[in-house]
Amino acid sequence: MAAAKEILLRRPVAATIRLTVPAGGARPAPPVGPALGQYRLNLMAFCKDFNARTQKYKPDTPMAVTITAFKDNSFEFTVKSPSVSWYVKKAAGVDKGSTRPGHLTVTTLSVRHVYEIAKVKQTDPFCQYMPLESICKSIIGTANSMGIKIVQDLE
Amino acid sequence: MLARNFIKHIPCKNLSRHHILRDRVRPLIFFTSSTPQSSFSISASLSTSSSSSSSCFTDESFAAPYLSVRIHCPKHVVDPFSEALLCFGASSVAVDEDIKEEDDKDAASGSSIASKEICIESIFPVHEEVKMCISQAANSIGLKEIPKFKVEMGDEQDWITKNQDLFQPVEIAERLWIVPEWTSPPVPEAVNIILNPGFAFGTGEHPTTKLCLLLLQSLIKGGEAFLDYGTGSGILAIASLKFGAASSVGVDIDPLAIKSASHNAALNNIPLEKLELHLAPSENSSSGREMSLQKEQFDVVIANILLNPVMELADHIVSFAKPGATTGISGILSEQLPNVKERYSPFLENISTATIGDWVCMSGTKRGEFIDN
Repeated sequence: MAAAKEILLRRPVAATIRLTVPAGGARPAPPVGPALGQYRLNLMAFCKDFNARTQKYKPDTPMAVTITAFKDNSFEFTVKSPSVSWYVKKAAGVDKGSTRPGHLTVTTLSVRHVYEIAKVKQTDPFCQYMPLESICKSIIGTANSMGIKIVQDLE
Repeated sequence: MLARNFIKHIPCKNLSRHHILRDRVRPLIFFTSSTPQSSFSISASLSTSSSSSSSCFTDESFAAPYLSVRIHCPKHVVDPFSEALLCFGASSVAVDEDIKEEDDKDAASGSSIASKEICIESIFPVHEEVKMCISQAANSIGLKEIPKFKVEMGDEQDWITKNQDLFQPVEIAERLWIVPEWTSPPVPEAVNIILNPGFAFGTGEHPTTKLCLLLLQSLIKGGEAFLDYGTGSGILAIASLKFGAASSVGVDIDPLAIKSASHNAALNNIPLEKLELHLAPSENSSSGREMSLQKEQFDVVIANILLNPVMELADHIVSFAKPGATTGISGILSEQLPNVKERYSPFLENISTATIGDWVCMSGTKRGEFIDN
């Protein structure tokens, strides 16, 4: 991480761009196009690079990308796996969370689901050193805030 | 080393203004409607609405309008606020770093509120409720008031034209240049390939394109039949003809790529017998896998796509090569190479690789006899 900081400090940063792009599906159309085009970044190079690096994910999984654009029109980017809320919604098969979390429960998920999601999240750069248990707890917290209950076993 | 975080540094060419002669400043016409349709044999149905010249390269999805929103928010909440915006419906959030750091040191000086704020540029899809999204995002991170914002309709032409500017002449090897349509070649005696990539991939700047061009240069001696699978802007197909191949065929699943390739062929004065373009069926189209290409017809085959298509289509791609012909595969990262090698070794022998940075180009000659796995 120190090395990355050094690189960032050496070159002046023009902007930080955050985007959600489907894995393997980056194309120079909106939203990627205008967002990057504004800072004169090489769209095609980004698309090819991003697509190549997200080949191992299921196509169209929405990946969170953070791009650091430098003043000389070069850029770096990091890719994170989708947010926990996306995984939870997918596992539960719902589109949106509950409108009144805490009062209204939309659906339930089993502990197994939480475990699977935690395993994927552990490969994320920011969670790598967290024990699986704490990741699970934070997933349960997110699920609860969406109105999705976690039960021991689904009937 | 399965790090799922990748920090990639992509150096961009030095874009400080070389004084490229801009005497050929042509208006942005991607496709002059006078180009007769019969110049190129393009098989499969292409919806060519070449009536309005400027919209030829813009598909609905590319020309889609978008909302561009400028939001002023307090500096200390920029990060959580941007994440929240993304959760609540923004397509992208960009934060300018052009802030004066000195103002940070001023302790609670009520004077310049402006310096405590940062401007965020956000892009929203057209039908999104911007105000609701911003207020929800502000609520979710505990901001007491909704930040000021301004909404504008995004001008799609704006970023398209900005992107055009970035493309400068590229020297691939000695006496081999890729030159944009609107620039005159810096070295007129060299082999110059004139391109307008439009929205297709292949300007010659990317390492994979360079690798493939260098491979092509070493393979084409004159009179070969060449297949470019995943042709994009058509750069490899055109290059092969310039190197002396007898004929070229370009295949792509994207109709925009085919349009771009046929336009570029015209720019380089390639007659129809030499360059054929085919639109291959993708999973979305309903037509079956009929391709009017014969198997075992080509002396050189190159596929510069991505890992997944290259793995899936291995049999298909190699089937077009004659026994003993060279097949090149690129668009893969060095970490993906072992899988590709394994996938292709039943078909190819004498496999060799070339690398630029993280990108790899693998080539081998097709075996005479297939080995049954």
